[in-house]
Amino acid sequence: MDKNTYDAIVVGTGVSGGWAAKELTEKGLKTLVLDRGPMVKHGDYPTAMKAPWELPYADQPTQEDIRRWPKHTRPSFYGITQSTKHWFVDDLDNPYEETKPFDWFRGYHVGGRSLMWGRQSYRLSDLDLEANGKEGVGVDWPIRYADLAPWYDYVEHFIGVSGSVEHLAQLPDGDFLPPMELNCVEKEFAGRLSDKFSRKLIIGRTANLSGPLKHDKSPQRATCQYRNLCMRGCPFGAYFSSNSSTLPSAERTGNMTIVPNSIVYEMIYDNAKGKATGVRVLDAETGKQTEYFAKVIFLCASTFGTTHILLNSTSSRFPNGFGNDSGELGHNVMDHLFGIGVSASVEGHEDRYYSGRRPNGFYIPRYRNVGSDKRSYLRGFGYQGSASRQNWSRLVDEPLLGDDLKRAAEEPGPWRLGMSGFGEMLPSHSNYVTLDHNHKDKYGLPVLNFNVAHGDNENRMKKDILDDAMEMMTAAGYRDVRSYITPANVGAAIHEMGTARMGRDPKTSVLNGWNQMHACNNVFITDGSFMASSACQNPSLTYMAMTARAAKYAVDELKRGNI
Amino acid sequence: MNRREWLKCVSALAMGAVAAPSLLAAFDAHAASQAPGFTPQFFTRPQVDLITAVVDIILPRSSTPGAVDAGVPSFIDQMFKAVYTPAEQERYQAALASFDRAGGKPFLQLDAAQRKALVTKLHGEAIAGKKGKNPAPAADFVLMTKKLAMMGFFLSQPGCTEVLQYAAVPGAYHADIPLSQAGNGKAWAVETVLTL
Ligand SMILES: Cc1cc2nc3c(=O)[nH]c(=O)nc-3n(C[C@H](O)[C@H](O)[C@H](O)COP(=O)(O)OP(=O)(O)OC[C@H]3O[C@@H](n4cnc5c(N)ncnc54)[C@H](O)[C@@H]3O)c2cc1C
Ligand code: SF4
Repeated sequence: MDKNTYDAIVVGTGVSGGWAAKELTEKGLKTLVLDRGPMVKHGDYPTAMKAPWELPYADQPTQEDIRRWPKHTRPSFYGITQSTKHWFVDDLDNPYEETKPFDWFRGYHVGGRSLMWGRQSYRLSDLDLEANGKEGVGVDWPIRYADLAPWYDYVEHFIGVSGSVEHLAQLPDGDFLPPMELNCVEKEFAGRLSDKFSRKLIIGRTANLSGPLKHDKSPQRATCQYRNLCMRGCPFGAYFSSNSSTLPSAERTGNMTIVPNSIVYEMIYDNAKGKATGVRVLDAETGKQTEYFAKVIFLCASTFGTTHILLNSTSSRFPNGFGNDSGELGHNVMDHLFGIGVSASVEGHEDRYYSGRRPNGFYIPRYRNVGSDKRSYLRGFGYQGSASRQNWSRLVDEPLLGDDLKRAAEEPGPWRLGMSGFGEMLPSHSNYVTLDHNHKDKYGLPVLNFNVAHGDNENRMKKDILDDAMEMMTAAGYRDVRSYITPANVGAAIHEMGTARMGRDPKTSVLNGWNQMHACNNVFITDGSFMASSACQNPSLTYMAMTARAAKYAVDELKRGNI
Repeated sequence: MNRREWLKCVSALAMGAVAAPSLLAAFDAHAASQAPGFTPQFFTRPQVDLITAVVDIILPRSSTPGAVDAGVPSFIDQMFKAVYTPAEQERYQAALASFDRAGGKPFLQLDAAQRKALVTKLHGEAIAGKKGKNPAPAADFVLMTKKLAMMGFFLSQPGCTEVLQYAAVPGAYHADIPLSQAGNGKAWAVETVLTL
């Protein structure tokens, strides 16, 4: 038992787990870090430097890939390419059930989805954190922006977020590296939106190093080379991933023991102590079972990963899942509205171009239900998009062949601008996941079954996302304005959250305002499960800030003898 | 913008170490297959000869390399072997057969001028047709082969570096510059997916 005993256990090494590992080890805790997938060391990115011509099949998925990844090759996803497919789980080996269709896109390896994420990083504001309470939706967040702001500062400073200062109450500014630039068409569009609608269009805030970090704690991280191949992993360490950023720091403390291929399938609960004493692990390669013990446990296995472990941990104390006194565990699943967008042709600017591949786009922050604006639905949405000059594919339908075709392709095409909405989804008890005991995976574990759908509020908002985008592009004077609706199920935005929400009342929430389980005070959950509402901003930065905050609290409480 | 490019730019954008060897083997096989004199995996030799003749008309060698120099016939063979569905395979096969009959005698028995005239005429028919509807099979063959030739060529090394321009590691981003100062002023190579 001794050899398997640590001060802390962190389950998962993605965006949140990497942060938990760094913070706990830096505070001196001997920490065991477990991930169900294989090791990926920083730099271990096999396709990162491949040129287009070195990729088979024009980088498209083969029929064999589509057979192995029937869910990950749905139209709402683009990750199964020859250069990135190795980062996503094989759907045949990692099945799930869909009472209602759900897109669940994930990777099991050290680093989790911090390796493949889109790096868009936005703060929530009090508009977001007060909404549930004011509107009587779900439960009130037990925290406010003032609780979070210093922790946003802290994580932004460490990971490096590039962005512009905008003084928007609904999208607080941060501790930014220099903003990337908008191109000429994006600037023109920004001007027209400002004139005609008094709406802002800003450069995206992204966790790519547009300049050197403002600290010397990550010597392995260099500035961005503008290749826009981030999803393959970055050998320059120029975007935030656990592999490039938090895990190396945890490693340097000498306090981390990391064990890959460790599937945590159950919590160990001690009735007498009223505490979790450890976790049970299945080796992904050998099936060997091991128990590990610690004083404090951080669950960071991603929203559904953590939910799965908790639902699968039943005991006389917790017959309905670990920590589930409220009955809310697995409920209130949220994602962002996704896949609805518009594109248009932009005349002129033929003598302007860009160089380098910017791994970022523009952002139109939320303006609906802000200030005096009132809609027939609650909450709002933001847009993400970009403008670029069309490439050779525009010539397919042109009457050009031979030398003429080659010459035409040499020239950059006309400009086109596109953007799509990310909209807030409300929490609802009727959106939930369960364990499906009739369907087991290859390890004999029951799989998750999804029962999640958009409601009335979401459907009304979707209409506005489309109509507003059409209206803005038309008013800007652009031609050939075309709407675009990607067939997407809930989950397609890959911002799943909410299944172990935080709140003040243990009767209606799983966690308190410190990400600490109401029913078992030495268990903390800091992946997206804790979210009480979804806001419309990409959420991962908030998971990081809350993880760092919870880790500080947990260590203080340990020292005070309270856990 | 195609769907993937679009999703990539608007939304941003298992087994690493374990899968790496098999992944890299696929890349080596890909490199090997691009050598001249490849062995077709999907088409017959006569079909490859016909496809080669057609892609050479669509993107010929000029002051820069052409589609045949860039290994496009082998690329097309691989795409049908591995990427396209049985329905797409059948559509292309039937279109190819129809195309081979369209010139009065087998395509490879036509002289150079006749071949070019036929491809040009069928291409014109294909793009004059209704948007969103597949053209008649012989014209469909020319349009599909044009898409395949463009995809194979503009993602090949000569296509990316000699016709378009490509910077593996740009090192910096300049958002708004005169066209003449954007590298050599030609279009940047970008990854693109076309559906057949
Ligand atoms: C293509 C793409 C683009 C995205 N773009 C953005 C963006 O622009 N901005 C943004 O904010 N977010 C974005 N996201 C979402 C972002 O990746 C997630 O919000 C984030 O990674 C969640 O962090 P996490 O720590 O909860 O989970 P993950 O990063 O998924 O990590 C979970 C880890 O836990 C491990 N694990 C799971 N179950 C177990 C178990 N039972 N035992 C042991 N280990 C386990 C997994 O192997 C994994 O390593 C994007 C995601 C994708 C895929
Ligand atoms: S764009 Fe920047 S962060 Fe992304 S892979 Fe290239 S160098 Fe790395």
